[in-house]
Amino acid sequence: MNLIETLVLPSSSLLTQNTSIDLVQLSNISKNYDEFVAVDHLSLSIPPGGIYGLLGANGAGKTSTIRMIIGMIVPDSGQIYVFGQPLSRAHLSCFGYLPEERGLYKKMKVSEHLVFLGQLKGMSRSDADASSRRWCERFELTTWMGKKVEELSRGMQQKVQFIGAVLHDPKVIIMDEPFSGLDPANSVVLKDAFLELAKNGKTILFSTHRMDQAERLCQSICLINHGKAVLQGELGQIKARYGKLSVQIRYEGESSFLHQPKLVQSFNDYGNYVEVRLAPGADAQELLQLAASKARLSKFELMEPSLEEIFLDVVGKSNA
Amino acid sequence: MRNTWLIIKREYLQRVRTRSFLVLTLLLPAIMTVSMALPAKIATIGQKAEHLVLVTSTREFGEQLRQQLLAQPLSQEADESDSESAQKKTEDLYTIDVDSNPTDSERAALRQRINTRDIDDYLWLTDGAIAVHDVSWNGREMPSGREKAWLSDTLGRIVLQQQLSKKGVSAAQADELLKPVKVDSFRVEGMRETKSNGTARILEIVVMIMLIYMAVLFYGISVMRSVLEEKNSRIMEVLLSSATSTELMAGKILGVGAVGLTQIVVWIVMAGVVALPSLAMQPKLSNLMVSPLVFACFAIFFLLGYLLYSTIYAAIGAVTTTEQEGQQMQFLGVIPLVLSVFMLTPVIRTPDSTAMVWMSLIPFFAPILMFGRIVVQTPPLWQILSSVVLLIGTEALLLVLCARIYRIGVLIYGKRATLPEVLKWLKYAKAQGFRSSVTRPYA
Repeated sequence: MNLIETLVLPSSSLLTQNTSIDLVQLSNISKNYDEFVAVDHLSLSIPPGGIYGLLGANGAGKTSTIRMIIGMIVPDSGQIYVFGQPLSRAHLSCFGYLPEERGLYKKMKVSEHLVFLGQLKGMSRSDADASSRRWCERFELTTWMGKKVEELSRGMQQKVQFIGAVLHDPKVIIMDEPFSGLDPANSVVLKDAFLELAKNGKTILFSTHRMDQAERLCQSICLINHGKAVLQGELGQIKARYGKLSVQIRYEGESSFLHQPKLVQSFNDYGNYVEVRLAPGADAQELLQLAASKARLSKFELMEPSLEEIFLDVVGKSNA
Repeated sequence: MRNTWLIIKREYLQRVRTRSFLVLTLLLPAIMTVSMALPAKIATIGQKAEHLVLVTSTREFGEQLRQQLLAQPLSQEADESDSESAQKKTEDLYTIDVDSNPTDSERAALRQRINTRDIDDYLWLTDGAIAVHDVSWNGREMPSGREKAWLSDTLGRIVLQQQLSKKGVSAAQADELLKPVKVDSFRVEGMRETKSNGTARILEIVVMIMLIYMAVLFYGISVMRSVLEEKNSRIMEVLLSSATSTELMAGKILGVGAVGLTQIVVWIVMAGVVALPSLAMQPKLSNLMVSPLVFACFAIFFLLGYLLYSTIYAAIGAVTTTEQEGQQMQFLGVIPLVLSVFMLTPVIRTPDSTAMVWMSLIPFFAPILMFGRIVVQTPPLWQILSSVVLLIGTEALLLVLCARIYRIGVLIYGKRATLPEVLKWLKYAKAQGFRSSVTRPYA
């Protein structure tokens, strides 16, 4: 993994041991839209500090869950607790929210817009102004503060939107698919901001359908499928539970060694390399020998399963 | 409360600061004035004088009639309040010839001249015809009531003069005897009597009611468009994470309403600045001034009417997803307004008929009809008060219902909600907590 995890994991794992101070707790919540079940008896706990990923395919119920957490919609059944108390209006100012579909008032000046959003969250005018200045400086938007939103590029508008969600210094930052539609440069900026906020003790909850992002950023995850939580907990523990059952192989030549049900449970061809999930009880050495006899190998690495593999495995099972 | 205030402030400042607001506020009165004056002006441009031929038994009688007709100002309300210059002289409007050859062949010739558009009308005024009260006005177009009265008044006076002179009354004495009695009209409001005339009154009603009608419609639709814009730009979701939908709706309606009020106040001040110097010079013009009661009622009914209709429009904005859909649904708010404008004529004619009293109490019509009745003839206080109370009550009820629709509707993007869906929202929303929705986010 990388630096981030080693930096942040210890503190968050320390905190998660004490479950009584869960920041946000969903207890058995359900939400139906007519016949459609969006969220189905979902329970989850978000520990304070760190980055929490809400994962799932499109339409799994992530947006509905997030909207219930910030009180925009009310669950049909179940209860939501924030700092151990039932969710109420008073909690709204502890949340910073970035919806999946982003929007700003196009005709407003950036600075006015940010002050307006800050004031709606209960900040005074001067605090909102000072805070928006600080954030604009950090995102190199200072020269644009006097411009109208519509004059900004898409990437800059997304930065403004992000500032709008965090400028009142919320304890919990909730973002629905924050990386969708961002170019690589802005993704890095956003990722850095996430890490900095997490380091400053903020809790970040974000939803994504991209497992690689979650894998790089999150300490804890909840994987939702058809409105149900199918997998949740600390990422490290989840991965450990799955063990080193994966092999990454780069090869040239014949691929028949992949079609050995005794050794290979499933494989996923990424083009440059193949990720192989070993069959239960299979020996990786056996596969290595077989593969070496059939093809030229340039890489054979035993590794933790990627989150994506776990996702496909778990979702495949639960859908079956 | 704080959130509502912040939203009002944003809405107000953003709108008032735009260039289009400035242009509209300054130019609309000019455009209105021009568009009201222009049609009348255009109608008179290139208007030819009407060519009449008076067919009489003697040339002498014909000439006398011709002169008196031309001397008579042809206006229903030849009041002092109508300025002289605005009144066209009768001789500019009519060319009158005299024909003292009342024969059948001449009549045929005149008919022919009408057909060839050489003349417009011939008037059959022989002594015999006058004696049996059988004079006639023959033309391609029928004479107006005003023209008939003009002819019969003048004719009658000449006949009387002739009869008086036969009895030895001198022409001067006859004139004295035949001097018409002028009737002035006064309007009683409380203990005050103001000299007033019908034309000015109708103008006052039309101007003020059009102002209410147009402002309610214009700003109501502004609210709808603004809700749609917030929905479509998705800013709504960000706002909903800080404020409740009721706060958002109230803030929007009041913010846009404050803009409308500002505009109207600016116009009234402008009208005052323009009108004051001329009022000072011509004290008689003060008849045109609106009484304080009417003014207060204007403010009340405009505000209540605006609140009622903008709430409906906010709900329409919430249940629709595009500007086009919104335009299709607009009729819901337009129809009652248009209906009440249609009923304005009966209101002006018979402001206190039972039907009009009841109609004007219906909250959706009250802003225009009750106000119209107040301008025409102050109705009993209980009627004014009950219409205000009914309006406020309806508004409160509508606000609760529309807030429920709004709460759910603003999160719906995909398609317009159907009526059964909207009804279901009303039912569900009641049972919900501090904020709610029963809808799929991206249905």
